[in-house]
Amino acid sequence: MKKTKLLSLLLALCMVLSLAACGGSSSGSSAPAESSGDAAPAASGDTLKIGVISPNTGNLAAYGTGIHTGAELAVEEINAAGGILGQQVELVELDDRADPTECLNAFNNLVSQGIGLIIGSATSGATSAITGPANEEEVVIIAPTATADSITTEDDYIFRVCYADSAQGAIAAAYAKTAGYDKVGIVYCAGDVYSSGLKDSFSAACAEQGIEVVATESSAALTTTEYTNQFTAMVNAGLDFVYAPYYYDVIGPYVIPQARAAGYDGVIMGADGYDTTPDYVREADAPAFNNIYWTNHYFAGDTSEKVTSFVAAYKDKFGSEPSAFGATGYDSVYVYKAAIEAAGSTDPAAVRDALADTSTVYECVSGTFSFDESGTPVKGAPVITFKDNGDGTIGMELVDVVEASDLA
Amino acid sequence: MSTFIQTVIVGLRLGSVYALIALGYTMVYGIIRLINFAHGDFIMVGGYTIIFTVPLALALGLPAWAAVLAAIAVCALVGMGTEIIAYRPVRKKGTNMSALITAIAMSLFLENLAQAIPAIGPNPKVADQMFTAGGFRIGSVTFEYTTVITIVISAVIMVVLYMFTQKTRLGRAMRCVSEDKAAATLMGINVNHTIILTFAIGSALAAVAALMYMAQYPRIYTTLGSDLGIKAFVSAVLGGIGIIPGAVLGGFVVGLFESFTTSYISSSLSDAVVFLILIVVLLLKPAGIMGKNVGEKV
Amino acid sequence: MKNNKTAQGILLNTIVIVVLFALFQALTAAFGGAGSFKLVLVPSLWQCCYLILLAASLNLVLGFLGQLSLGHCGFMAIGAYTAALLSLACERAGVFTDKSGAVYILIIFACILAAGLLAAVTGLLVGIPALRLKGDYLAIITLGFGMIIVNVINNLPFCGQDGLAQGSAAASLYKTGLGFGSKAKVTYLWIALLVTVLCVTLMFMFVRSKYGRAIRAIRDDEIAASASGINVSSYKVLTFTYSAFFAGVAGALYACATSSLSTASFAFTNAGILNSTFVVVMVVLGGMGSLTGSIVAAVIMFFVNYQIANGSWVAALPPFLNGVFKYPMLVYAVVLIVVIIFRPRGIFGTYEFSLINLAGDIRRARVRRAEAKAERKEAKAHA
Repeated sequence: MKKTKLLSLLLALCMVLSLAACGGSSSGSSAPAESSGDAAPAASGDTLKIGVISPNTGNLAAYGTGIHTGAELAVEEINAAGGILGQQVELVELDDRADPTECLNAFNNLVSQGIGLIIGSATSGATSAITGPANEEEVVIIAPTATADSITTEDDYIFRVCYADSAQGAIAAAYAKTAGYDKVGIVYCAGDVYSSGLKDSFSAACAEQGIEVVATESSAALTTTEYTNQFTAMVNAGLDFVYAPYYYDVIGPYVIPQARAAGYDGVIMGADGYDTTPDYVREADAPAFNNIYWTNHYFAGDTSEKVTSFVAAYKDKFGSEPSAFGATGYDSVYVYKAAIEAAGSTDPAAVRDALADTSTVYECVSGTFSFDESGTPVKGAPVITFKDNGDGTIGMELVDVVEASDLA
Repeated sequence: MSTFIQTVIVGLRLGSVYALIALGYTMVYGIIRLINFAHGDFIMVGGYTIIFTVPLALALGLPAWAAVLAAIAVCALVGMGTEIIAYRPVRKKGTNMSALITAIAMSLFLENLAQAIPAIGPNPKVADQMFTAGGFRIGSVTFEYTTVITIVISAVIMVVLYMFTQKTRLGRAMRCVSEDKAAATLMGINVNHTIILTFAIGSALAAVAALMYMAQYPRIYTTLGSDLGIKAFVSAVLGGIGIIPGAVLGGFVVGLFESFTTSYISSSLSDAVVFLILIVVLLLKPAGIMGKNVGEKV
Repeated sequence: MKNNKTAQGILLNTIVIVVLFALFQALTAAFGGAGSFKLVLVPSLWQCCYLILLAASLNLVLGFLGQLSLGHCGFMAIGAYTAALLSLACERAGVFTDKSGAVYILIIFACILAAGLLAAVTGLLVGIPALRLKGDYLAIITLGFGMIIVNVINNLPFCGQDGLAQGSAAASLYKTGLGFGSKAKVTYLWIALLVTVLCVTLMFMFVRSKYGRAIRAIRDDEIAASASGINVSSYKVLTFTYSAFFAGVAGALYACATSSLSTASFAFTNAGILNSTFVVVMVVLGGMGSLTGSIVAAVIMFFVNYQIANGSWVAALPPFLNGVFKYPMLVYAVVLIVVIIFRPRGIFGTYEFSLINLAGDIRRARVRRAEAKAERKEAKAHA
């Protein structure tokens, strides 16, 4: 007799699903009902809406904060100067917590509101969940900091203002070559896509440049606290150049002090993850921070007028020095502005066509560049070094700017 | 050879931290048979307290590590508060499992509360130097004083806790409560007071563990508790949960295994190996290395 | 009489399901392929489907068997990666060339089945040793297992950077494999609904069968169950395996819906609601031992989480409330603690929704409420 209940559960399910249906649709109530959903109209009235998807809460909140504050600054400047094509710009900011599912939800939400120009997201993992759908919906995406190679290669509507992992790996390898190292080691995090992606591209670039990768060591996750054994292995292999693509909060307190304590005195090279490292170093560890090089999207100490005015405006508005995320968020908005003005329209398809013109040169905080065929900027990168100031703080110096033309 | 010594030292360094944290887990489990998932988060609370009180300690002319005193007080309060607000009502009504789930919820709560506090936020923080740097050399390898201090502290706490539970009146009351709450009540023991005391001691241990952790690995962030807690908890289970010397033994076993895996097998698989060892040990000796198998009463 | 009622029940349920489904199809036909139906509702339904399967399958172990498993998303990860890899392999082997047609649908079902089976085999392999341990120890072993899975998948060459974890993977899953875009999600929504309904039915049949009675006996008193001739270990392993199967299926649906896999999505904790901790939260909130509860809790959890992140009304709230919503996890934690304290067995307890018994349930509930009211009145009168 109890068995009678069995199928009734199916009903429960259907009921529940239809309940969800009501709920789901209410959230998208602001969507224009007449919208075909495919080529969503971008403008409503006199404001131009641009969507921003970034991880504003969770462990990577620092990235999201950088991106959306940078974008806000740019929008404020643009609006003060009269907007784009006479339209005021409004940002619609959503949080994806660096999760692919949340990112896709946020994307769908923006598109259903009729927004066709989107900036996002910070991580390659989250961004890769929306590249395919963006192409299908014919919505333009400019990714501020998603560096995985494949983000832009597969789809027509995806662009970014940062370089790809392969370029960053190639820049590091080129730097090693010019500095005269022909044997290198790698220490990376196997549990993190950013780190393992850079490791792959660096070793590929090394093979091209004729540099031998003698030793490769890894850590299991970003929460790993011990790197001594990995660097002991580097010392045993007799290396003077180690590529260690980690993030600032691992590099500062753990990797570099432990590498030096393990007796490794050679070069440690990294990538844009090293940005803001000096904030994460104990005073007592400062002397360890010599002979460290890294590539970044821009150099905050750059003396060019573009960068100094951006840094000053950002400091004025938010009270802190902008990270690379702030710079790329800021640039994303200006790239949209240039493309919309070139297209003379805010229609996503027209903006896409304008962006796809590889001859247009964009002058941005993070470098002057044009897009390649796939939608990734062709630009060089500053190589920056840390320097122990001798008083417990760490300074930064620009060592070199590796130009895109040097890499070919 | 120097690689071997280095690996041992790294193992001891990791192990000393795990051991110290595992002591707290074991202490609580030994008395109320509850895996206190929030213990890792007490360490996080202690860590942030230390970070915020170090300037105060320095201003008073005390060494930086004196901030641990404030952390001990805060952690003990948080521990007792957790017991009174969350664990006690559940223990009265629910099953073992609901207590365990409350502990998970508590852990979730503390982590996210910390993130919501503006002064803490989601970004990691880096602690100041706690002890004078330096160490002695074995061959080409440096054995840091901080590691030695951590090992000594673990050993001292282990002995003191062991003596406390075995010899003192309160300790006997604790063991009594752990065996049979009803009988303990009949013997005139205030069960609730005893359990609160247990939480106070266990949480105070978390503060000490936070100090020693930050002295060696100076990064602290809100989800530190889960990451660190899991390994420490594995240590406690490995040694035989509820057994005080077992926690310390388990800590060092896990630390050494992790270090040797990194050096000699595969650096990226160290987590998997640690858990594999746990599984193997539990299958061979279900009560842990030092645990005794107790027959079930019907 | 008994058979009669069973037949009635099946008939009633089938009719209602068919009617609901037909209605739904009609709605799809009316609004399909446009606006927020395609972009908001359908993706939401996909997410609800896999969350429902995940929560309900964990409930078999947690609620009905009474064993805490903290690595349930590990099985889901296995399912997701299996389905994704298999679909890519099929595409590369030329089994299907475009993402439409009967062959493709067949492949989807094959992938879903394979995902479930491989997860079940893993469940069996983990369950045989792990379930010899009790309570707390089992919890930690399953937690460890979840971490090992993530660690191992990260180290598999064909799942890493060049395979499935990110980027290229997302693109290739979307273009050639199992990943669905917005339109495909509408087209194949029936697959998600069918699979979910089928799996929930199977789970329901399981808990109503003699196996279900046996495992509830084990939950209530292991020693007594064993004394009454129930083979405790084999029933435990059976349930664990059965539960893992559905978690694997949930993983396959996840791979379809997200088309981008990374191991962080299946961890013990992460920033989203899809992780081993939150599955436990869903089951506990819904009611340990109530599949209805798990389903409702999964949907509510999804809905609340979605609304907090995307609802336009959140911005209109006063700053204080808005601030609270910036930390939804904090709210969930508090709700969980409150529910555990005041309703230790969850909101639904062990209640199961049933259409044929609905009238009776409502009547009984009304009687109970009236009795309680009368009692209170009487107590007041005495006072």
